[in-house]
Amino acid sequence: MFLRQPAKLLRLHFSEGDQYNGVPLYEALVKKCQALGIAGITVLRGMEGYGESTEIHRARILAHDQPILVTVVESAENIERLMPEIEKMVDTGMIAISNVEMIRIEGRNTRPEVSG
Amino acid sequence: MLSRGAAKKVTIYVNEDTRHHMDALWDAILRFLRHKHVAGATVLRPVAGFGVHELIHSPDQEIRSEHMPMRIEFIDTAEKVDELLPSLYDMVVDGLIEVQDTNVVKAVEKGRKPAPHSPHAEISGAAKLIRIYLGEADKLNDEPLFEAIVKRLMMMEVAGATVYRGILGYGAKRHTHREGRFHLSRDRPIMISVVDQPSRVDEIVDAIAPMMQDGLIVLSDVEVHRFVHALPEQPALLEQKDTNVSSSAG
Repeated sequence: MFLRQPAKLLRLHFSEGDQYNGVPLYEALVKKCQALGIAGITVLRGMEGYGESTEIHRARILAHDQPILVTVVESAENIERLMPEIEKMVDTGMIAISNVEMIRIEGRNTRPEVSG
Repeated sequence: MLSRGAAKKVTIYVNEDTRHHMDALWDAILRFLRHKHVAGATVLRPVAGFGVHELIHSPDQEIRSEHMPMRIEFIDTAEKVDELLPSLYDMVVDGLIEVQDTNVVKAVEKGRKPAPHSPHAEISGAAKLIRIYLGEADKLNDEPLFEAIVKRLMMMEVAGATVYRGILGYGAKRHTHREGRFHLSRDRPIMISVVDQPSRVDEIVDAIAPMMQDGLIVLSDVEVHRFVHALPEQPALLEQKDTNVSSSAG
C-alpha cells in the first residue's frame, strides 16, 4: 500500500503564443515554479482548441498557436503560495484547481545491484 | 471459450497402441473431449518415454514405433473437469491422468467478437481518474516505462489509458525535461491518464507504483457519463460466420 496524501491539482489553459517578459509563458511558469521550490510541473501541448477569444488555436505553417495545458500537483499550502505569482503572469486563459490524492514515488531504486 | 482466471489443466499419458473398443485410446479420448465441448485439447507425441513397465518407448527401440507414448492435454474450468474425470478414469486402462491447478492469462479466438467483459461492460457515475507522471527516458528492463505501464494496464483489463507527451516540465528528478530542437529530444515529460471504477484503483496503483523509480501518481474523483466497452459493429459476413460456428458447435 502506497501512502496517499491529499493535494491540489492546478491546471492552466492558455495559448502557446502567450508570452511573459519576452519568453513563452509556459517557460516562464516552469522557471517560476523552480524558483519557488514547487515539486513539479508538466507542460502539455494540445492539438487544437479554443477559449475566451473564440478563435481556434491550431498549428499553422509558421506560427505556434496550439493550446497549452500546464499541470502542477502540490500540497494546498504550496499551491496557495504559487497562486498570486501565477495570477500576475497569466492574463488570458483559464485556471482550474481540483482536490486530488497523490502518491509520490521518489528516488526508489527497485533494480537489484549488479554484482561484480 | 475459457475466461481468465483459475482453471484446471488435465494431462493424460497413454500408449499410442492402447485400444478403446475399435479405436486408438488417444483418438477416443480426443473425440470424447470434443463431444463434451471442452474448450480445447492437444495431443502430443513425445520423442521418447517410459512408464510403469520401465520399457523405454522410442523410435530406436521399436522398429515400427507403434508403442510410442502419447500425451493429451486440455484446460477447462474446475466444474467441467470434475464432470469429465469419471469418464476419463474409466477410459484410461493403461496410462496416467494428472490434474493440476492453473491460471488462464489469455484466451482469445481470432475473428470472434469477445463477450462483454464483466468488470467494465458499461459504467456510468462515479469513477477515478489516475494520472501517472514520469519521464520519457524512464526505462523498465530496457523498455520505455510508459509502454511497460500501458501493456501492464492492458493485461489487467483496465478500461483505458492515454499517454500524453509534454513539451516541458520537471519533477522528482529535479532536471528539466524539455523538447529539443527539431523535436528530436527523447526525454520529454509523460503523463498517462487512466479512468476506471473506484474499486479498481488500489489494484492499479499497487501494480504501477513498483514499476516506477520516481514520479507521481495522482488520483481524482471524476464522473463518467457514458462508457460502453464494446467493439464496433462487425460486418454482416463475419456475424453470419460466427453464428454458423456456434450452431455447428451446439
